[in-house]
Amino acid sequence: AATAPGKKITARLKRTLPVRGPQAPTLSELMRWYCLNTNTHGCRRIVVSRGRLRRLLWIVLTLSAVGLILWQCAELLMNYYSASVSVTVQFQKLPFPAVTICNINPYKYSAMKEYLSELDKETKKALETFYGFSEGKSKVRRSVDDWNSTGSDFFEQIPLLKVEDFSRTATDLHSGQKRKIEGSVFHKDSSIVNSGDSNDIIGFQLCDANNSSECALYTFSSGVNAIQEWYKLHYMNIMAQIPLETKEKFSYSVEDLLLTCFFDGLSCDKRHFTRFHHPLHGNCYTFNSGESGTILSTSTGGSEYGLQVVLYIDEADYNPFLVTSTGAKIMVHDQNEYPFIEDIGTEIETAAATSIGMHFTQSRKLSKPYSDCTETGADIPVENLYNKSYSLQICLHSCFQKAMVESCGCAQYAQPLPAGAEYCNYKKNPNWMYCYYRLHEKFVKEQLGCQQICKDACSFKEWALTTSIAQWPSIVSEDWMLRVLSWDKGQKLNKKLNKTDLANLMVFYKDLNERFISENPANTLVILLSNFGGQLGLWMSCSVVCVIEIVEVFFIDSLSIVMRRQWQRAKKWWHGRQQGGAGAAPGGDVERQGHENPACMDEDLPTFTTALRLPLPQDSPLPRTPPPNYSTLRLETAFTEQLPDTLELGQR
Amino acid sequence: MNLKKYLVRALHRLQKGPGYTYKELLVWYCDNTNTHGPKRIIKEGPKKKLIWFFLTLLFASLVFWQWGILINTYLSYNVTSSLSIGFKTMKFPAVTICNANPFKYSEVKPLLKELDRLIEAALERILQPTPGNSSENMSLPLDMELWNQIPLVLIDEQDKDNPIILDIFETNQTLAGNETAMDNETSVSRLPAVCPQCSHPGSDNCTYRNFSSAAQAVTEWYILQSTSILSKVPLHDRINMGYQAEDMILACLYGAEPCNYKNFTQIYHPDHGNCYIFNWGMDEEALNSSNPGAEFGLKLILDISQQDYIPYLSSAAGARLMLHQQKSFPFLKDQGIYAMAGTETSIGVLVDELERMGYPYSDCTLNGSDVPVKNLYSQYNTSYSIQACLRSCFQNHMVEICGCGHYMFPLPEGVNYCNNEDNPGWAYCYSSLRSSIKQRQICIDSCKETCNDTQYKMTISMADWPSEASEDWIFHILSYERDMSTNVTLDRNGIIKLNIYFQEYNYRTISESAATTIVWLLSSLGGQFGFWMGGSVLCLIEFGEIIIDSLWITIINVISWCKGLKQRRARARYPDAPPTVSELVEAHTNLGFQHEAVGAVPGAEALPPEPGTPPPNYDSLRVQPLDTLGPDSDAD
Repeated sequence: AATAPGKKITARLKRTLPVRGPQAPTLSELMRWYCLNTNTHGCRRIVVSRGRLRRLLWIVLTLSAVGLILWQCAELLMNYYSASVSVTVQFQKLPFPAVTICNINPYKYSAMKEYLSELDKETKKALETFYGFSEGKSKVRRSVDDWNSTGSDFFEQIPLLKVEDFSRTATDLHSGQKRKIEGSVFHKDSSIVNSGDSNDIIGFQLCDANNSSECALYTFSSGVNAIQEWYKLHYMNIMAQIPLETKEKFSYSVEDLLLTCFFDGLSCDKRHFTRFHHPLHGNCYTFNSGESGTILSTSTGGSEYGLQVVLYIDEADYNPFLVTSTGAKIMVHDQNEYPFIEDIGTEIETAAATSIGMHFTQSRKLSKPYSDCTETGADIPVENLYNKSYSLQICLHSCFQKAMVESCGCAQYAQPLPAGAEYCNYKKNPNWMYCYYRLHEKFVKEQLGCQQICKDACSFKEWALTTSIAQWPSIVSEDWMLRVLSWDKGQKLNKKLNKTDLANLMVFYKDLNERFISENPANTLVILLSNFGGQLGLWMSCSVVCVIEIVEVFFIDSLSIVMRRQWQRAKKWWHGRQQGGAGAAPGGDVERQGHENPACMDEDLPTFTTALRLPLPQDSPLPRTPPPNYSTLRLETAFTEQLPDTLELGQR
Repeated sequence: MNLKKYLVRALHRLQKGPGYTYKELLVWYCDNTNTHGPKRIIKEGPKKKLIWFFLTLLFASLVFWQWGILINTYLSYNVTSSLSIGFKTMKFPAVTICNANPFKYSEVKPLLKELDRLIEAALERILQPTPGNSSENMSLPLDMELWNQIPLVLIDEQDKDNPIILDIFETNQTLAGNETAMDNETSVSRLPAVCPQCSHPGSDNCTYRNFSSAAQAVTEWYILQSTSILSKVPLHDRINMGYQAEDMILACLYGAEPCNYKNFTQIYHPDHGNCYIFNWGMDEEALNSSNPGAEFGLKLILDISQQDYIPYLSSAAGARLMLHQQKSFPFLKDQGIYAMAGTETSIGVLVDELERMGYPYSDCTLNGSDVPVKNLYSQYNTSYSIQACLRSCFQNHMVEICGCGHYMFPLPEGVNYCNNEDNPGWAYCYSSLRSSIKQRQICIDSCKETCNDTQYKMTISMADWPSEASEDWIFHILSYERDMSTNVTLDRNGIIKLNIYFQEYNYRTISESAATTIVWLLSSLGGQFGFWMGGSVLCLIEFGEIIIDSLWITIINVISWCKGLKQRRARARYPDAPPTVSELVEAHTNLGFQHEAVGAVPGAEALPPEPGTPPPNYDSLRVQPLDTLGPDSDAD
């Protein structure tokens, strides 16, 4: 008795609602309907197959197909942001790059004498006391006397020490007094641990000026490094106090540096060069810097059509402690690029012709989300201190400088000044060297976070250089060449040129083929969708329509069926309470209602199956059939081959 | 008659076909098509029907849009590049070796004697401008003819508007009013050296080439003059004046095999005189190298005899060498490198290859046959290269405009090299052509790069050689071997050691392949169609079939409408005319639903209720009369 009302309701629902529509009365009906009518393959097989084993097999197959689709589509999605590389070679007129030329020695030694004489004296003294080096005994003795009388500023600021063994005692180079080393010892050379126990080690101590107990000792395995590093510290200190104009005056002028210039078969002169002051290399000159608004270009490759210059390197005027090699440094770069000549410059020799063949390659990476690079550097939280386009080097240097200004209160000499800061010097910032060394060490060990913040630039131009050297001038032409070049140099030079004062440089394009390496997205949305379609079609013959169907059937319809049943149940329970448990309405009524239900008349017309189930309306007033105006529908079913299936199933 | 019968039959056959009206046809199509959307349209309720109709339309348009994109992508002929790096047995590159100096000075001295004396005197004048002490040095009269063709002058530009031109040998100062200086602003107030070229000697139409440095002016002037002199010497003599292989190549070792100067092919290079090419692959098979490292490469000892250099022609001393492909011409000025005397130069080689696809993927040429420039270098039996094309293009222009060929490039047939006697204005013509940007652009535009671009990336390192300890015995042995005497004839200034070998990774190949092939296109099209609508090619055919069907229906409708019109006219004339036989047949056979629908619906309304017909809802029953009617109509 308890089940009877439920069954009746189901029967009623079945009658009132067409079974073939998605509004099936029960979930299993809905599933059956879905499987029979869906466009995907496989599901239908489950319903149609006979035998438990076969049905199971089809269920497994269908599910695995679904799994495969999901897996493959996930793979496709994950590989969506991949890039393919294309290389194009174009033969064309190429813009000539900017060529920056510097003398290795930054300033004329003779001009700098007044600033550096004290320091040089002390350096010579140090060399004499520790290595017994002297250039002309009398001279040194005199300088020693001088020094003893004037007192040593530099050694007091940063003493050079000789570290004896690892007994943690050090001899002060100047006073000769021994002192105990406190604080940490930094070895600039790692090999020292193995080789250093027999030799004395040279180093210098940097102390925190505010807290003198905190000292760091920097040691070097070789005195050459120690003296140079020590000299450089003081040198930078002195240079930071000299205004830029004075420094430019002390450095080489373009007439000093250039003897001859030839570009693209035509003569060129100093107007083609732009001065650029480099803190460590003094005045550098950039050929074709683009500052005049035009960028020169070459339309023929080969050494005759490139830049040919003869440089005058005044070797006699070199600073003996600051630079130990002779020649010039050059760098080939883009007009918008800052030349980091101390980092990536090429050195060229004197008394030789250096021929540099270039090959131009332009690369372009895809930015986010393909790779982590930056187009303009605007998205990087480091201010670009250089007035040039973004590069990784610029970012790292700027980042370091920023950290320097923040923690030491002044800016490092080798990099441009941030707004409102000034260069470090000992008078104003007595602590800066210690601070700088500490900071630099942190920077190298990637503790400052600069390496994490800075990203590479997405596009860059590269000139691959093939450098070769020939003897120049040749023995037989040396004589006249030097004479004519001396004449070119003019009255300013009163001595005869020596061939070791000259360097010949040729920079040219080997060929005018520009290689352009670019990344392109390997996938577009269209291709991704095609691939999805291919996968869906291959495994299940599915399409977006199927997906919509699935959503419709499994979510909307299932939900609505469940809701409807709940509603019916609730309604029934309510009725039951009101009628006090009275029996349901007589079946005949329901049936008649069902027959005259307008649901029959709407577009979801009963099919043959439902029609069969309908009991004959014997006691209906008009046993006549409705006019046969269902022609379309009948026609439609006439061509449905699935009808026998449904029929059969319905009967079962 | 036959045709009519056929048409009637066709009509009948069509009537038996899937649909009778457009609507039925559509419904039938929607129900039976394999594309996923249309079925939904007819199977769902009215609201959903609408949704599905729009969804299907949307999907269809999406499919067509994306197809358009895909076809566009295909037609843009993109390529993908693949990179491979590694070591494999490869052909050892051809190695061209030249001396930086083209001829032995001892051999060409007689030819250049006059010129040298002239330049010495000129230098004397330049360096000591006071005319007093220089005149007595000249014991012999100078060949002023050479000088007058292209004189060296100095221009005093202190006064910008009236530059004073000073001929070095003539003391009179010319005021150049109509001077057309190429680079006429020199802020140097001193005298810049200039070498002018006139279109005709003595004429006023002169071009002055400015140099900021006298050294350059002298060199350029000397090159122009010596070119003119040497171009008159026949090729055979020029070869004899250059460096001979047995003098230049002292020792040779390839892999573990000894080789000697006979393994080198001689070629005459206008810039560098005699050049020798190892492994050119012209006569014999190219050598392979299957091991990396210096031990398995080419080792050479060269003598450049620097003492015998022409002093004014080339100021740099060393060997010039170049690595290039087999059967290609060495363009040493472009790709060559120097090797310095007194050093050992080691060159590690990486072959950087770029293999490209030709038309339509990129605009490159496979063998140069489609380039509209006559390749003059083909007389060396060498393959096409862009450098060869550019130079040929220049030479062709030169021949066209100046009437003679330039000494640095090969000659077209029936043309001579320029020299001062036959072509007095050639230098002017040449330099104006050389500096003409238009000419360069024409050549750049007409030449195409080759599809296979091979570069030899070199890692060059140098060391002093021979070492001080070993130099005595090395010089001794080498001198002995060359001259069979115990005198040491070699020194550090002339001797060069070269090692050329493959690096550990000896190739880097970037090869292109088509990114979009027909297969790719088809699978992408199929993917799109399948993704949005679950369709395939068969669906397209189905659709086409429906279109044909509907066309048929249209034809039938038009015919029947015409007939109806005729009948109506006929009926208008004879209102009660009996139906003709054909009309009867038509009525019987043509069960077009329009007729039925038109007739049935008002009829049903008019009909009185009839007693119990069974409900004719059986689909099978509906099918039957169609089938039974078929033979009937066929019989007709």
